[in-house]
Amino acid sequence: MKCVTPPRIRHTVRSEFFKQNGIYLLFLFFPILFFTSIADAQADKTIVIKGFITSQAGEPLQGVTVQSKGTTKATVTQADGAFQLQVAPNSTLSVSYVGYISKDIKVGAADQNVSVQLLVNKNEMEQVIVVGYGTRRKSDVTGAIVSISEQSIKDIPPLTSRRPLQGQGAGIDIQKNGGNSKPGATPSILIRGSRSVRAGNDPLIVVDGIPFNGSINDLNQDDVSSVEVLKDASATAIYGSRGANGVILVSTKRGRTGKPVITYSGYAGLVKPLGEYPVMNTAEFYEFKKWALYNGRFTGNNRTYASVDDPKLVSDNFTPQELESVQTGASTDWQDLIYKSGIITNHQLGLTGGSENTQYALSGGYYKETGVYYGQGFQRFSMKASIDQQLGKRVKVGISSLNTFTLTDGEGANPLGQALRASPLVSPYNADGSLLNDFVPGSASQVWNPLANFQVAGASVQNRKRFGTFTTLYADVSILDGLKYRFNAGAEIRSDVYGEFYASKTTNNLGGLSTSQNRTNFRTNYTMENILTYDKTLAKKHKILFTGLFSLQEQESQSNTFRNNTIASDNLQYFNPTYGANLIGDGDYEKWDILSYMGRLNYSYDDRYLLTLTMRVDASSRLAPGNQYNTFPSAAVAWNINKESFMNNAGPITNLRLRASYGRVGNTAISAYQTLGALSSLVYNYGDATTTGVYVSNVPNPLLTWEYTSTVNVGMDFGLFNNRVSGSVEGYKQFTESLLLPQNLPSTSGVPNAIVTNIGKTTNQGFELHLATVNLQGKGRNSFSWTTDLNFFINRGKITSLANGVTKDVANNWFVGKPIGVYYDYVKAGIWQNTAADTALAISMGQTVTGVGSVIGNIKRADLSGPNGKPDNKLDDTYDRTIIGSSQPKWEGGITNRFGFRGFDLTVVAFARWGQMLKSGLQGGGFANTFQATYNNIKTPYWTPLNQNNEYPKPNANNTNTPNNSLLGYFDGSFLKIRTISLGYNVPPATVKRLGGKSVRVYATVEDPFILFSPFVNKYGGLDPEAAGSLNLDTPPNWTLIFGVNISL
Amino acid sequence: MKRTYIYLFIGLALLTADCKKKLIEEPRSILTPAFFSTTQGFQQGLDAAYAGMRLIWGNQDYFTLTVIGTDEFKRGIDGNSDVNVYSSGYTTSSGVINANWRNAYTFINTCCGIVDNAPNVDLPEATKKKMVAEAKFLRANYYFLLVQFFADVTLNKNFQAEPTTSAKRDPIKDVYSFILQDLNDAVQDLPAVAIKDVLPGKVTKAAALHVLAKVYLTKAGSLAKESTDYENAYTTAKALIDAKATYGLELQQDFGKVYEEGNERNSEVIWSVQHTSNLAFNGPNNSGISNFSADNILNHMWVPQYEKQPGMIRSTLYGRPYIRCTPTLWLTNTCFADKTNDTRYKKTFQTVWYANDPATPSTYPKWPNPLPPGAPAGAVSGQFKFKLGDTAIYMPGVDVTNAQIAAARYLMIPPRNYSNALCPAMFKYFDTKRADLNFPSIRPVIAYRLAETYLIAAEAAFFTSRPAEAVNYINKVRERAAYPTGNAAAMDIAAADLSIDFILDERARELCGELMRWLDLVRTGKLIERVKLYNPEAAPNIQPKHVLRPIPQAQLDATVTGDAYNNNLYFPGWN
Repeated sequence: MKCVTPPRIRHTVRSEFFKQNGIYLLFLFFPILFFTSIADAQADKTIVIKGFITSQAGEPLQGVTVQSKGTTKATVTQADGAFQLQVAPNSTLSVSYVGYISKDIKVGAADQNVSVQLLVNKNEMEQVIVVGYGTRRKSDVTGAIVSISEQSIKDIPPLTSRRPLQGQGAGIDIQKNGGNSKPGATPSILIRGSRSVRAGNDPLIVVDGIPFNGSINDLNQDDVSSVEVLKDASATAIYGSRGANGVILVSTKRGRTGKPVITYSGYAGLVKPLGEYPVMNTAEFYEFKKWALYNGRFTGNNRTYASVDDPKLVSDNFTPQELESVQTGASTDWQDLIYKSGIITNHQLGLTGGSENTQYALSGGYYKETGVYYGQGFQRFSMKASIDQQLGKRVKVGISSLNTFTLTDGEGANPLGQALRASPLVSPYNADGSLLNDFVPGSASQVWNPLANFQVAGASVQNRKRFGTFTTLYADVSILDGLKYRFNAGAEIRSDVYGEFYASKTTNNLGGLSTSQNRTNFRTNYTMENILTYDKTLAKKHKILFTGLFSLQEQESQSNTFRNNTIASDNLQYFNPTYGANLIGDGDYEKWDILSYMGRLNYSYDDRYLLTLTMRVDASSRLAPGNQYNTFPSAAVAWNINKESFMNNAGPITNLRLRASYGRVGNTAISAYQTLGALSSLVYNYGDATTTGVYVSNVPNPLLTWEYTSTVNVGMDFGLFNNRVSGSVEGYKQFTESLLLPQNLPSTSGVPNAIVTNIGKTTNQGFELHLATVNLQGKGRNSFSWTTDLNFFINRGKITSLANGVTKDVANNWFVGKPIGVYYDYVKAGIWQNTAADTALAISMGQTVTGVGSVIGNIKRADLSGPNGKPDNKLDDTYDRTIIGSSQPKWEGGITNRFGFRGFDLTVVAFARWGQMLKSGLQGGGFANTFQATYNNIKTPYWTPLNQNNEYPKPNANNTNTPNNSLLGYFDGSFLKIRTISLGYNVPPATVKRLGGKSVRVYATVEDPFILFSPFVNKYGGLDPEAAGSLNLDTPPNWTLIFGVNISL
Repeated sequence: MKRTYIYLFIGLALLTADCKKKLIEEPRSILTPAFFSTTQGFQQGLDAAYAGMRLIWGNQDYFTLTVIGTDEFKRGIDGNSDVNVYSSGYTTSSGVINANWRNAYTFINTCCGIVDNAPNVDLPEATKKKMVAEAKFLRANYYFLLVQFFADVTLNKNFQAEPTTSAKRDPIKDVYSFILQDLNDAVQDLPAVAIKDVLPGKVTKAAALHVLAKVYLTKAGSLAKESTDYENAYTTAKALIDAKATYGLELQQDFGKVYEEGNERNSEVIWSVQHTSNLAFNGPNNSGISNFSADNILNHMWVPQYEKQPGMIRSTLYGRPYIRCTPTLWLTNTCFADKTNDTRYKKTFQTVWYANDPATPSTYPKWPNPLPPGAPAGAVSGQFKFKLGDTAIYMPGVDVTNAQIAAARYLMIPPRNYSNALCPAMFKYFDTKRADLNFPSIRPVIAYRLAETYLIAAEAAFFTSRPAEAVNYINKVRERAAYPTGNAAAMDIAAADLSIDFILDERARELCGELMRWLDLVRTGKLIERVKLYNPEAAPNIQPKHVLRPIPQAQLDATVTGDAYNNNLYFPGWN
């Protein structure tokens, strides 16, 4: 594990280049870098230098080497970062620490106190990072790995547990799932784009070496010490059948040798909605509804109403109460009534320490967030304990236990559908001031007062309780010199209990029967690994490391769901179905196993030429006998150019290496029993004799196998100017084959459900750049420092093959040569106008132009083609739909700037996602933009004979949805967003020490404060274009402001 | 010490050995297709084949395709404006078409599975034979639906457990032959017992005979017609009628009893699709607000917007106003011109609503000042016209003057003022016992009844030049319609009155709204003519191609191997 007593390696400072070439240098688009020239020290007498070494965020660094340059005088810092050293006056101190950029400090002629900040080295080759089944020096790694150290995690404000790593690494695309901003919602994580349609694109998460099945919300960010993201096949091939989507390795904090250190971190703040969706007010809705009625009411083939202002139209369709609102201009802003500010708090208390042989780490945390709706909330209680013990000389054992209990309230609470549709003409309260607990008048008896769900206590209850324990243990045995055996095991037990109750008078039941649901899920998962490693250096230059593995993983889960209605008393909620009626239950059971054999050989010659060969064989119970075993090979080479002798005087180049890899990995997401086919059930009754019938709904497919992805990756790591500029460039191409695709069968096949088959192929290719620069290094606490992390990546995915040689599969929306996730639809060609030309055109195209079905004022679709490949003056699904866009971005990137000055630090994270099409449920196909006017609508400049726009159709009371309304929902989804701004202050170490502590930091963070650029937001009334998949109309996006403190004693 | 540790770890390593058997799957919460060929699966498969009928009878999609867009019913205010009025929005992509298509094929496959698996099942031969006959009856019904809507369709004679992405259309005559074979087998093998002696909803020989007669009759009007079809229809229908005592069948004395709530097992019912008040078994999507799935929501379809009138609120008694369709003026005024001797109009349509809003009496209408001429005695200006429980809406069914309307205590709506929101409501499917006023119906849906057998016999007799027999069968139905207040003798017709139009009119009077009108009109070649005459909204739009339903786009899109699925057989791009 990386953080357990890191090796202390001295750094050579390569600053000769700068000494020779003066002080200033311009590099890329970053400003001038400042450097310090170093004068020789004089050594007449000695002075005492005392000081503190901290990180940029002010955390004390323990074990930092402070050496008087050119001498042997040296010391290391204590747990509070303090050191004391006697040196000659005017000498130079060299401060170095693994994983950080070394720094030289010039001291004066007298005793003095100094404080030094070290900045994280983003490309530290000596750093030891976690790879699958072991750790490696970064300079020995041949694969593409993004490593995020503990320090980087601390620098990123703590709220990122909600969307961890967003904007932090090239090739890592993190988005709110469906735009969902609920407390406790899990984000969607994609590594190098999507390659699979059906099998999922979620990366494998491995915690302390063991596959982790909890959600990302089950991890407490404060317990994480490092995160490594494995991207290419060389790095992931050792995870075989589960490596295709990338692997996220999470290491949790372990104890360190030293006196006990107590830490506290806490924050509290507010969550607020980013804004309200634009819906109509009273005057607007009144006008809109009148148009809808005028357009939609026909008696036979004649309009029922003479004009939009026909008094009969008004008297037939509006109540006196509504007309009074129109008169007075009273307008109910329903959204304003349902939103509130959420609060967010977090407390974490930790204790670490240990002796030479025993190290321990204990921590407890509490996190709470309430949402912007009433009834929404998320709480997490977490407790972690780890202990590592050396037993004699050859054996070391350790155990770590992560335990979390989470409570999620109101995860399905979504009054938005009702709030957006409720008529603004009416009040949510009765004349006597009591709550109107009924349909909102004027909303077609379909919209219940959205306030009913939360203003009546206990009317709407949704509770999820999750308990999870994840325990790993290991035993390391040194058998012979270089030969080690490691037993690594992990067990995970998760229980998830969900209860839901809706009273009769809620937006959910609309005055019908009360309903309840109770669901329990219990899951166990264990992994046992036997790892044998042999590490040997021959003739001083040939380093060999062999790793062999045999492992078994088994998961078993079961769940039951009970639903019923007509609960005797609302107080019973979902707890006892005995007091309800119409009990329905169902259950699920699943068990699967994976057996794995793996061998890996790392060979290096003189630390210059590196080779990694990996072979993994996985066997899965989820595949049919005969197809259960599959092999995943990979090979990679690397060349550490900077270790070559000709690079000794290579000027600014500190590091330079080239890497290349090829490998094959799998995506295992076939669920258990899927090869067997399935029956579906259908209930029936013969009079009072009730029965459950079964019919074939899924046919068996014993040939089903995993998806395979072969990846070629080339990469270059570089470090310039003593690693003040460092980074990596990656290029890759992935070939995914035997893609699991659900294939809709024609109904005539007799099998209603789509069949899953390995029929497709996709490719992904991309380019990734990561750059870390120290723009201003700063000398100490009081000087200005500035660092930048930049990542930029491009991924182009496309489908290259479908079943049976077809090039398009319209039923499933797949097109050869196009990415997964394209939008296939008609092209909107404006609005049918009430002109002679348009009417004639509509008639010639067979469109109805009179009566209730008239298309005039409706969305006009373009006639793109016909059976002869030319427009045929007809509109049909076959020839006139086309690919109108894709959810795949053209590029993505993130930039993090950190500034430090006099103990203050400021971090700004921005990220951009560019060129993707957004499909929004707010405008297209949704319930809030129907143009029917039976309930309120998104505010749009709709078509009328007086407003002949070409954007939005006419309202029509007769159509449940305006025809082809999906065409209103496509937008340019590009955006540039400020993800986080965080300002912190570190109390000066000397002050802290006087108070008996080690460090104190206070900070304020604002998350998601601005969307700097987004056509969807700026032009079309959207709130936030960030969404994996279609943007669903749910909890509105929000922004957060918190204040926090970190204390170390 | 050291050695102890080493042994310990070797022990741990051995824990993970011998894992091969971990790779064997044992499903516990799902059933696999292998179960389908077991004895238990055989029985449950048959239950599913029955249950599949709920996706047709009682479902909105089949209702939409058979009731609206005909001479009987036109689009209501909340009915869709494509399929119902044959507008340009009615395309191969219309969801209602695909739902019927897909469901039929799914359960045809289920039936095929039962028929094909029978030899392997361990049950007494007689039991097996009866169950196979039931499956064949159901399969014939599913195919009958397809062939009427789509003509030439894919004919699957055997169980399909292998995925296929190719399909072709088989000649309509082959499909009819297969249907007839199934039904003849069912007639042969089903017991000739009284319907009351089997479980409700179970198929009997009588049901097989009725459908067989109807299939012959329909085939006679189809592209697959053969000269013997009408004769076969006649003899089959006659055989059923002649043996009606054997099956415990008899026309109800009172037409009103046929659809009376709670009387769904009456002597006239040949076969019904079941529903139950045990909601856990009443449809998988029994949410109360679903428009699809296995729920019977026919109870909502005809309910007008009575609740928008003064004194009225939504109630379980009067129903949920889906108002998908309203009767045409031809139906209420011309077809049901005789409302005296023929009691069926008032036993089919609700024309009176009583004030039922107890909460807000202040909103009840008041007499104006001055009182309208002819106001009833007791009317006082400024006083309420009526109170809770009094008549709030009345549709006299004949024209009245505007003065009479103004003078009435209640909202009086003569036929000229019927609207697509408020008009007489067909109440055959009303359900007052459902658990919640928005819930679907718990009543069985009557699919076939004896009065229709008489009308089938009459139609077949008419086409085989047996006017006397035709008149006889029709008069049986008409005389019953006079009970109890009308003059039965006055209802009788003579051979001179007979024509196919008269038979269609009589079917409308007897069977209106009973999920078959569109098919009747297509069978008799009268769809376009009668829609143009009697359905003003659909009249300008209907075209020759509308006598067939379009092959669903989903079928066209998913047929990706072999030849494209042909939807140019009869009307290019349509079917």
